[in-house]
Amino acid sequence: MIPRLLYVPASIGLALLVLPLAGLLLKVDWPALPALLLSPEALQPLGLSLVTASVSTLLCLLLGVPLAVVIARSKPRAAGLLRALVTVPLVLPPLVGGIALLALLGRGGVLGNTLELAGLRIPFTTAAVVIAQTFVALPFLVIAVEGALRTAGIRYERVAATLGAGRGTVFARITLPLVGPGLLAGTVLSFARALGEFGATALFAGNQVGVTRTMPLAIYTAFNGSGVTTDQAVALSLLLIAVAVIILVLVGTRRASVLS
Amino acid sequence: MTATLGQDVTALLAANLQLTRGGFTLDVQLTLAPGEVLALLGPNGSGKSTVLDLLAGLATPDTGTVTLDGATLTAPGRLVAPENRAIGLLGQEPLLFPHLSARANVAFALRVGEAQLNAASARVQADRWLDRVGLAGLGNSLPGALSGGQQQRVALARALAAGPRVLLLDEPMAALDAETAPFIRQLIREQLAETGTSAIIVTHDIVDAVVLAHRVAVLHHGALIDEGTTAAVLAAPQNPFVAALAGVNLVVGTAQNGAVVAPDGRTFWVRPADAAALSPATPAREAPGSGAPGSGAPASAAPAPVAAVFRPASVVVHTEQPRHASPRNVWSARVRSIEPGSGGVRLRTSGDPEVIAELTPAAVADLGLQVGSTVWLSVKATDVSAYRR
Repeated sequence: MIPRLLYVPASIGLALLVLPLAGLLLKVDWPALPALLLSPEALQPLGLSLVTASVSTLLCLLLGVPLAVVIARSKPRAAGLLRALVTVPLVLPPLVGGIALLALLGRGGVLGNTLELAGLRIPFTTAAVVIAQTFVALPFLVIAVEGALRTAGIRYERVAATLGAGRGTVFARITLPLVGPGLLAGTVLSFARALGEFGATALFAGNQVGVTRTMPLAIYTAFNGSGVTTDQAVALSLLLIAVAVIILVLVGTRRASVLS
Repeated sequence: MTATLGQDVTALLAANLQLTRGGFTLDVQLTLAPGEVLALLGPNGSGKSTVLDLLAGLATPDTGTVTLDGATLTAPGRLVAPENRAIGLLGQEPLLFPHLSARANVAFALRVGEAQLNAASARVQADRWLDRVGLAGLGNSLPGALSGGQQQRVALARALAAGPRVLLLDEPMAALDAETAPFIRQLIREQLAETGTSAIIVTHDIVDAVVLAHRVAVLHHGALIDEGTTAAVLAAPQNPFVAALAGVNLVVGTAQNGAVVAPDGRTFWVRPADAAALSPATPAREAPGSGAPGSGAPASAAPAPVAAVFRPASVVVHTEQPRHASPRNVWSARVRSIEPGSGGVRLRTSGDPEVIAELTPAAVADLGLQVGSTVWLSVKATDVSAYRR
């Protein structure tokens, strides 16, 4: 029972999402594609992106799930404040995030100076890429898991406690499985966000081949590079889309098998 | 600590709890003997569930103590965590862990509870528990695939499998339909008896108290206002809530040939569906030493304790012995008092126990009834329900 009028904006919205990608496919130089994709200029950023995005996602899980639990089980006021703090990076332009990270960890930064004295330099390293990606991806995981935790409530946890289960057991065997779908969604979202991260990385980590040049930076470089055709950028974009689609499909089937 | 001084030394559980939340004040003292089942009756908002939360360690009282078998669980500055109290909780909703099968739900309790079994033995024992609650073969089912009654059976098995010293039951039949509730009630009665588990059941259904409890305590506005055996509490209602509960006639007696025999020898025939449950040869499960004496030898059976329940409005009052009466239950009695009641005039009539009849003021005048009159009373067997105790 949908009002027919809704189909018009719905179609336009879908077209807006799909047509650009279709346009991209039309621009692909298919005969040259294998060579472009198998070149070191493509494979190296892809490898770096997959590794850094995976590490970032892992960090998001390790830090984000406990943070989500703390927020979900806090009193309403504290929870509201924490939730707002977590959401800020989500609504911030990533470029601003990059500047903020530099201000904290860069040369002359509050923590940067201390680390420098200890012989550690974060900016413009692969570690900086991971930190930038984690910075932008963490809110997605926290919000998704926290929502799932609040929906699940504490009733099952209370029952488990009256049966004799300690807090650790309850968390591992009851709480985590209960928020499984939310956890999966949050993980996928943060991985996708980390994989596509550009702005904060560009400012905080730079664009050094093999060290900090991830796929988005490689695409930007290829697109803007002097004397290079945009074919490379298109090919790399296609690769990134393919990776994203593969992950979504893998997660989708796993999810379906879990639910069945 | 001198908390146990002056308290009943035979008590398994002793609680003295005070709590103020907003305008609500709770001040309750109660004890529970080993193997005893106490019904905590009270209207909504009387603080029944709060008492259970305080006993289970899920809430903290402002002041007061809870001791279990001499060990202090709750005291000023001390609160033993719920998981270390050995006090179980079975609520209205089964709250089965939705991601675990029925078997895994019960096995969870066997692993983390008193038994501390390993995974393999827990699975085996869990199947035995499912068998005990009549769910053999459903171990692999996820909670979502089970009916409400089946889920509550699993929840009961899970709660008992944890091996609690005391089981708290929070209106465990309230969310079940009228067809299922009696079966679950009977099952709880059986399993509490078989396992010898002490329990406190919170309810506002008099039938729960009649069937399950040895003793009744009435909670009203956060305070216990009455306490005693079910029959004693109902016989002399101390407040309107109990009076409303007592709006039923309760005959606690013995079962004979599918009828309930009162202490004074009156026989109450009951509706056919319940008569079967009264016959001593049909305990739902053979349970050695479960308090179902004589289940193997009906002829020489010691009578089983049972209760008959019927509404005062179902009692018909005659001034002469009814001749062609179709009701099977007819007896004569003297009118002890005539009082205004919620649905008309209430007649209290002699006998052990007293039976209350309710009729219209016009009928009272018509029949010329007075205190001291001799009347004939009748009640249809189909209006009398019966419960094993």
